[in-house]
Amino acid sequence: MPNAVSMEGVRKTFGRKVAVEGIDLAIPEGSIYGFIGPNGAGKTTTIRMIMSILFPDRGDLAVLGKKSAVESKDRIGYLPEERGIYKKMKVGAFLKHIGRLKGLDSRGLGNTVMEWLDRVELADVHKKKCEELSKGMQQKVQFIASVLHDPDLIILDEPFSGLDPVNMRLLRSLIDEQHTNGKTVIFSTHVMYQAEQLCDHIVMIHEGKKVLDDTLDDIRTRFDPRALHVDPIGGLGMSNEIAQVAGVSHVTPVEGALEVILSEGVEPQDAMKALLSAHPMNRIEIKKPTLEDVFIEIVTDGVRGADAEQLRADLLAGSKLEEEGES
Amino acid sequence: MNMSKVMRVAAREFASTAMTKGFIIGALVLPAAMAAIIPVVMVLAMKAQPPADTGTVYVLDHSKEVTPIIQDRLDPEAVKGRWIERFEEAADTVQNFVPGVGADAAENSMEQATSNIKSPIFRIIPAGDGTNLDELKEELRKQFASDAGLADENKKVLAIIEIDANATKKINEDEGYGTYQAFFRPKLNEETIGEIKGGVRWSIRQKRYENADLDRTMIAEIFEISARESKEITEEGERKAANGIATFAIPFVAMILLLMASMTGGQYLLTTTVEEKSNRVVEVLLSAVSPLELMTGKIIGQMGVGLSLLTVYNAVGIIALIAFSMGDLIDPQMILLIFVFFLLAYFMFASLMAAVGAAVNDLREAQSLMTPVMLLMIMPYIFFMPVIRAPNSLFSTVLSFIPPISPFIMIMRVSSTDAPPTWQVLLAILINMVGVVLFLWIAAKVFRVGLLMFGKPPNLRTLIKWVRMA
Repeated sequence: MPNAVSMEGVRKTFGRKVAVEGIDLAIPEGSIYGFIGPNGAGKTTTIRMIMSILFPDRGDLAVLGKKSAVESKDRIGYLPEERGIYKKMKVGAFLKHIGRLKGLDSRGLGNTVMEWLDRVELADVHKKKCEELSKGMQQKVQFIASVLHDPDLIILDEPFSGLDPVNMRLLRSLIDEQHTNGKTVIFSTHVMYQAEQLCDHIVMIHEGKKVLDDTLDDIRTRFDPRALHVDPIGGLGMSNEIAQVAGVSHVTPVEGALEVILSEGVEPQDAMKALLSAHPMNRIEIKKPTLEDVFIEIVTDGVRGADAEQLRADLLAGSKLEEEGES
Repeated sequence: MNMSKVMRVAAREFASTAMTKGFIIGALVLPAAMAAIIPVVMVLAMKAQPPADTGTVYVLDHSKEVTPIIQDRLDPEAVKGRWIERFEEAADTVQNFVPGVGADAAENSMEQATSNIKSPIFRIIPAGDGTNLDELKEELRKQFASDAGLADENKKVLAIIEIDANATKKINEDEGYGTYQAFFRPKLNEETIGEIKGGVRWSIRQKRYENADLDRTMIAEIFEISARESKEITEEGERKAANGIATFAIPFVAMILLLMASMTGGQYLLTTTVEEKSNRVVEVLLSAVSPLELMTGKIIGQMGVGLSLLTVYNAVGIIALIAFSMGDLIDPQMILLIFVFFLLAYFMFASLMAAVGAAVNDLREAQSLMTPVMLLMIMPYIFFMPVIRAPNSLFSTVLSFIPPISPFIMIMRVSSTDAPPTWQVLLAILINMVGVVLFLWIAAKVFRVGLLMFGKPPNLRTLIKWVRMA
């Protein structure tokens, strides 16, 4: 299958700061890709380069078979991270303006706009000024602006930020529908579980470098944490006893359960049997790796315990870990 | 460059600026209304008269021969006659300003206005021989206390006139004539004071003529030289000679028109660019159009705004000139040049404004970068006098070739009485075209880099770096 986007050795610097360092990417047509990483990792810069809003200092880039997005701008839909609307413009007029700029014919454009507004439950606002809308409504309008012209490639930078759960679900179904219709979707988020819910392929970016590029399934297998979550009937105070069970390396409490880390070479199935025979359990399950865990794992390179917790907090807060091991 | 996208951007830019109530009222309706109102105000000012003063004027005449003449001159009927005459003269002039008014209607309203004229009514009382000036003043002063109850308006003392004994004939040959002094009640109408003083002066003069045995009418005739219109003889023929308006007003108005039209468009361009940037709408736009297309579209849109302003003001100016019967001052070539130089000046200033707008985060930050642009803008004012005094001096000539102020200086020179040779005008246009390309090129670079830069506003050095970088 041809690639919707491909990048080779792309590097971008702003003054002395390296924003993106040697990224290679191949995003096949029809796939749904998630760019994840903490704030400031280089996601937006990568996306802006794909959009030809910024140009790489070095490296090759192709979008929809063309040398740059400039030549196929009308086939790309883009929802920037920094959302903008003309405050004084009416919603309908704004969407029509963007549609025209995206090369749509003015005939029938009004109907298309109305249909879309209807789908996101905003049919009654098309005569209102953009500034009169709530933030969530504005975001839905901006999403329409990015898909109005039925693009083949849709790039959404942090599409979920600032939405309530109901609208988040609505947006997720809209994105899913675009994917089902065979469009290529790329979106970025720093909230990793959102990527887990939508993507079939994850690209993880950290400090300007690509640190992971794989399907969700492969990632789960590869980053099997070899851990169980158990909830013994005796309560969480049982952790010392559980740590004595054969095959258990150590035990740490997590929310509402105990995380049991297995020793090298122990099969999870065997450990489960041993644990169940040692203590009665309310619940026992194999821990699935979350993207967060994978991310922490990659970044910390196997550091565990309190250090990893500190790292996780730092990374999720978007701050960079300046001096490793000192915390 | 995708021209249909550029024009789409331009259309929005124009609509969002010019199709607003604020713009239409502020920039178009207001000046047009002002122009229309001026003649109306002139008529109204003439119709609305303050209540005429009525009362007594004491004349303490030491020359003993002027008082009867004053009595004749300031007789209520005579005063009224002169007022009507003056009003009719003024009305004739006004009618020339208001071409729309029909002759009949004008005639009717004139008659009505004439019958409404209220001239002051004076009672001239010669003060007796033994009268002391202080006594008269005291009488006037006493009236203030009982003013409200002054039954007979005629007794109200308006003025006291003291005429010197030698006002009408010299007592010593080597000395000049004497004069008069007037004491007035406070808060009299200007017209009343003027009428009294004028009447006294006219009367004193009249007596002087009589005493010197001169015929007043004859002297008036001797003084009168009615000037025929001066002409200039040129290669093509004769034309009206330059007068004050032609030498100063026309170049000034041309320069102001140019400055205003290009500045208005430029100012709006700055505002909308800053707005799009701070709104973050710019990235949405950049996903559809390139920075160059965006900038071009915006500049073209605001050019439309400047052009509409220029067209409206030109039209108002032409109508005004025709109304004031100075239509021969209109020069089609001149109007064409105003539009040409407008485009040149506008593109250069608009480039600067677009660059500044893209470089900053909000209008407040724009101010520091605007200072050099503002300095450029006041240059034409500073150079107006030196250029207009010597439109073809080396100084003026050189200035008129330096963009971006060249269009303003050149339009002053062209509209001055001593226009530069055609090759200089063409050369200036050529130089400015090069200037436009250069300014647009620099602006496009700053625009592209600046649009997505947020944070600390750049200084001049950073801007130069951006130009190199992009």
